[in-house]
Amino acid sequence: MNKAVKVILNILIVIASIGFFFSVILLISVIGGKNKEKEDPAETFAGVMDYEIRHRAYGEVMEDYYVRRLSHMDAPAGYEDLYRIGEYGHTAFMIRVYEEKGDTEKASALRQKTEELRGELGSYEFTADEMDEMIRNAP
Amino acid sequence: MRCDKCRHEIGPEQKRCPNCGAVNKFALQHKKNMRKFKEKYASTENEVKEYGRSVEGLGKRAAILAALLVGSIVLIIAAAIVDADPDEEAAVKRDSEKNAAAYAEEADGYLERGEYVEYVSFLYAHELMNFPPEEFDRFRSVHYVAGYYYECIKRMEIMILRSDDPEYYDGLDTDIRNFCMYVDTFYETFEAQKNSEKNEKYLGYIMDMEAELRAAMRTYLSISEEEMQEFIDSSRGLKAVRVWEVLRHE
Repeated sequence: MNKAVKVILNILIVIASIGFFFSVILLISVIGGKNKEKEDPAETFAGVMDYEIRHRAYGEVMEDYYVRRLSHMDAPAGYEDLYRIGEYGHTAFMIRVYEEKGDTEKASALRQKTEELRGELGSYEFTADEMDEMIRNAP
Repeated sequence: MRCDKCRHEIGPEQKRCPNCGAVNKFALQHKKNMRKFKEKYASTENEVKEYGRSVEGLGKRAAILAALLVGSIVLIIAAAIVDADPDEEAAVKRDSEKNAAAYAEEADGYLERGEYVEYVSFLYAHELMNFPPEEFDRFRSVHYVAGYYYECIKRMEIMILRSDDPEYYDGLDTDIRNFCMYVDTFYETFEAQKNSEKNEKYLGYIMDMEAELRAAMRTYLSISEEEMQEFIDSSRGLKAVRVWEVLRHE
């Protein structure tokens, strides 16, 4: 009887040892995965945005800006340029809307805001010129 | 104990009485009993030793097994804790519920300044668009109209600022289809909400959004005010054709 119990316990110990071994492997791989240098999504996105800008696809830049703003009102780290370009695009777009609506006060306030935003664009200042041109020439 | 014959004091081990020399019967019986006792003791001792040998190591094995099981469970829990990602959405919702009154005031500010796109972005960023707490009940009408106003303006910006590079696929037809769908939904919502909104201030915002959308369509889609109602009433397909022609300069 006791011999049988010993045999069963030995089998259970072997199974538990295998389980313990896999638990250790699991923990190591999880910690390893966490510490592994992950691909920075902001960096990847910057590449995508530059590609879009090279093709003057500001509509897509605007869509990225709006999508990002669904979760963050202020630019998260790495998305500052997107937010500046997006805000410039929206502001420049709305100037013509307010002018058409006859709200000169708002239009001039936005014109002033675009100047400030343009100053903040830095190396992306050319995007403001390109977006202004597209907006001016629309439709 | 005493001698049966002379009543002299006698020890249990003494075979004869030291006084009269009579045989001590008890001593003989005692000797027999002691022998039996020793035999039984030896047998029991053997049994105990035998049992001890048979269960030897069981406790140790059970302890090892228990330690392995506890260790595995601890490791799995640790791995789950390390691997768990924080639920950001839940944290945002908790924050919004906690600061609902302050956020409602901030939302009012956006409306007063006529920043309707900002207003909707603000609500989405704080998970207030789809899950508004009761502090936002007063915005209900504005809420619906602003949501579709936001989509219309956003779609127009995307269409107007689309790539002019013929090599770049910009999905213009999809954007036009979406824009036309949102224009229809905006006007359906606008008609319903402008009649149900009793608060003059909020009704003003709803009317203002409609005026801005009309101005945007006049400006960027070349739809005159005379053609506007016809455009709004037309089917989604006809709207799409009209927008397509304008954007493609056809």
